[in-house]
Amino acid sequence: MQKITDRITGESIYFKKHESGLNIFIMPRKDYSSSYAIFGTKYGSVDSEFIVPGENEITKVPDGIAHYLEHKMFDQPDGSNVFDKFSKYGGEANAFTSFNMTAYLFSATANFNENLETLMDYVQSPYFTEESVKKEQGIIAQEIRMYDDNAPWRVFFNFLGLLYNNNPVKLDIAGTVESIAKIDKNLLYRCYNTFYNLSNMTLFVTGDFDVEETLAVIEKNIKNHEPFTEEIKRIYPEEPKEIAALYKEQKISVAMPMFMMGWKDNNVGYGGEKLLKKSIEMEIITEMLFGKGSELYNELYDSGLITQNFSFEYSPQVDYAYTAIEGESKDPKLVYAKITEYIDKLRKDGFTKETFERIKKVVWGDYIRSIDDIEGYAHTFITMSFMDINYFDYYDVYRSVQFEDVQKRFLEQFDNTYSALSVISPV
Amino acid sequence: MLNVININDNITLNYIPMQKLKTVTAGMYIHRELKKDEASKNALLPHVLKRGCKLCRNSVEIAHYLENLYGAKFSAGISKSGEDHILCFETETISDKYAPDNENLTEKAVELLLSVVFKPLDTFDDGVFEQERKNSITKIESIINDKRVYANYRCQEEMCKGEKFAIPRLGYAKDMAELTKEELYDYYKSIIISSPIDIYVCGDTDISAVEKQIRQFVDGFEFTKGTMPESTIIHKSTPVKNVVEKLDVTQGKLSIGFTTDIGADDDRYWGLVLANAIFGGGAQSKLFNNVREKLSLAYYAGSFIEKYKGIMMVNAGIEFKNFERAYGETMVQLDEMKKGNITDLEFESSKGFLINSLNSYYDDQKALIMFYIGEKVAGTNLEIEDCKEKIKNVTRSDVVSAMQSVKADTVYFLTGKEDE
Repeated sequence: MQKITDRITGESIYFKKHESGLNIFIMPRKDYSSSYAIFGTKYGSVDSEFIVPGENEITKVPDGIAHYLEHKMFDQPDGSNVFDKFSKYGGEANAFTSFNMTAYLFSATANFNENLETLMDYVQSPYFTEESVKKEQGIIAQEIRMYDDNAPWRVFFNFLGLLYNNNPVKLDIAGTVESIAKIDKNLLYRCYNTFYNLSNMTLFVTGDFDVEETLAVIEKNIKNHEPFTEEIKRIYPEEPKEIAALYKEQKISVAMPMFMMGWKDNNVGYGGEKLLKKSIEMEIITEMLFGKGSELYNELYDSGLITQNFSFEYSPQVDYAYTAIEGESKDPKLVYAKITEYIDKLRKDGFTKETFERIKKVVWGDYIRSIDDIEGYAHTFITMSFMDINYFDYYDVYRSVQFEDVQKRFLEQFDNTYSALSVISPV
Repeated sequence: MLNVININDNITLNYIPMQKLKTVTAGMYIHRELKKDEASKNALLPHVLKRGCKLCRNSVEIAHYLENLYGAKFSAGISKSGEDHILCFETETISDKYAPDNENLTEKAVELLLSVVFKPLDTFDDGVFEQERKNSITKIESIINDKRVYANYRCQEEMCKGEKFAIPRLGYAKDMAELTKEELYDYYKSIIISSPIDIYVCGDTDISAVEKQIRQFVDGFEFTKGTMPESTIIHKSTPVKNVVEKLDVTQGKLSIGFTTDIGADDDRYWGLVLANAIFGGGAQSKLFNNVREKLSLAYYAGSFIEKYKGIMMVNAGIEFKNFERAYGETMVQLDEMKKGNITDLEFESSKGFLINSLNSYYDDQKALIMFYIGEKVAGTNLEIEDCKEKIKNVTRSDVVSAMQSVKADTVYFLTGKEDE
């Protein structure tokens, strides 16, 4: 086992690549009441076209299948539900599917080993029948409908639909009521056997426990020892630099129009330290541009164009990335105009070094406080690891970020040609 | 656990020491009785105060001040616990131990918190007042944005019509529109000296230094003793009220309000807490397993207790046409509880579920502070360990007898505009 220690915070992480191919991360947390484990596969809603290792043919599956599979993993061969097992040990279990990952997790304040065994057991024990697969359609259809009425969700997907022409990130994670109707047990097994091979998975556990003992529990509970020798080839359609459309509006019963606007990042195709550096630079830039202390935010707020319901984020991934701003406004088009105008002006004037130094402090503080949140930190860590980033490198990479890097990055990322606006307006 | 220091008759400093986290969280809570003519002022005031004070005169100064503290957080808002309307001011910073240049981050964050509450500008700025008033009105109107929250809110509103508890947390748009900045300033001056104020600090810090800081800030104020607002639970024996509302939605939202006749200080309270957990509190519950898993009627279906008012709420998102089935199944499961048809697994795992949530508060400064405020408002003043003990001691007959006093009061259904 390899031990990595963060010299600033004193936190340590233990890492082992198991012979099954599974990446194991163990992060001890002294004095914490809660322990937490997340077992994730690098498989999300975007992966509906791929070549299984050892095959030549492309497999194409219905949209929404990764999420459907996640739901069906909870069924047990003996007809029971895995929630009951966790309940017995006082563990609180959950799972989620994102664009690029499916993850199974629990938090517990007692019986860590039993909960961990339960987690590892069920994720490695698929059990699908025609009947159980069919039964899930009603539940997932309700989940899809729930999101149909959810304005923040709709404004987000409409936004992605504007930025992307072909990239499947623009599709709803749960698929559609029509696409999920095509899912059957054989398709689920096919996806399971491809993406749930342990060489495509990572386990991150954290809590106040003995590291060696925990590793022993993990190793004892590994069932499949046959890692793929080849990579799973994921096929994503070619995505042009251009955005698909500039503007989309949808009506939902909300009190005030909601908007999401942003910029498509065309400098993609890599992970690792290079991506981590880009992310940190973007964290600094977006805070400088849109943070509560920024000229732009205060101007928009004081003129009544935005409310305190205003947030922004840069979302990095290997194959796509974008900056998004979300908020509510009586006039989203004017907000868009003001912001893009401001960006154009700033492209000429540039940032001040003083702002950069002050905001660099904010990003540092946010990193320190992120460590306290054991669940959030585990999520970030595992998400990063699927992009070949060692999140413990954060401090070194952070220190390496210079004012010049940020100036260059700003010009690269904020080109209004690649910006779009999505609006939800009241019925 | 809780270290209580009385600053004066109204102000209490509560310290929750915690070494393991890398942050310090502090909050100031002003308790007001929920009243129709004060609600809108209470809701607006925190937002106006947080826009400037003697220490930082405007939003930009506040933002830069916080940025220099490595992105310390600061927020203000309003909450409602039963009939206690609480003005909240909260801050969070990384601990001094992690300050790269040995800065006194906690002292500075607390300085801003105290300054915003005790040292406002001599008058509210016109622009700021107008802006915050507009935003507060928008927020009242925005309750409709999240249909799940909206359905629950509407059901409680219908259920508590005529009760003080029906006064909305965010106040009334009409009252807010009529308010002047002078009235709001006078209101501030009157409540700051006459309300119970709780200050909580959780983390690793020198609390005597914080105490000194507070004493300096309140020096010169002439306080008159305030009393903690008290809530009374709802007792009703009217026939079930049915409410159907139509909006442009694709999913229906069912919300059922129940009276329990049991308050937080009742001997039967912990029986009710466990009963609710078994009935609809999480993935081990009857509602989750039957309405969702067995009948596939909903993606979410669950219940919770409003302990200050003795209310239990059930919420579920369903197809329009499944209203009767979802309502029927909810009542069937309630009946099962009343008959004592509870498996060992349901009973034990629900205890585990509750103890697990209580334990997890120990890792979350904000949650710990909220826990203690909840105890104070309810007048029960328990520690987490006391609550765990009470849950462990609940028997099956406690659960059944608590559930027997639960009665459906209001059934609310949010449905689509088009028929079918």
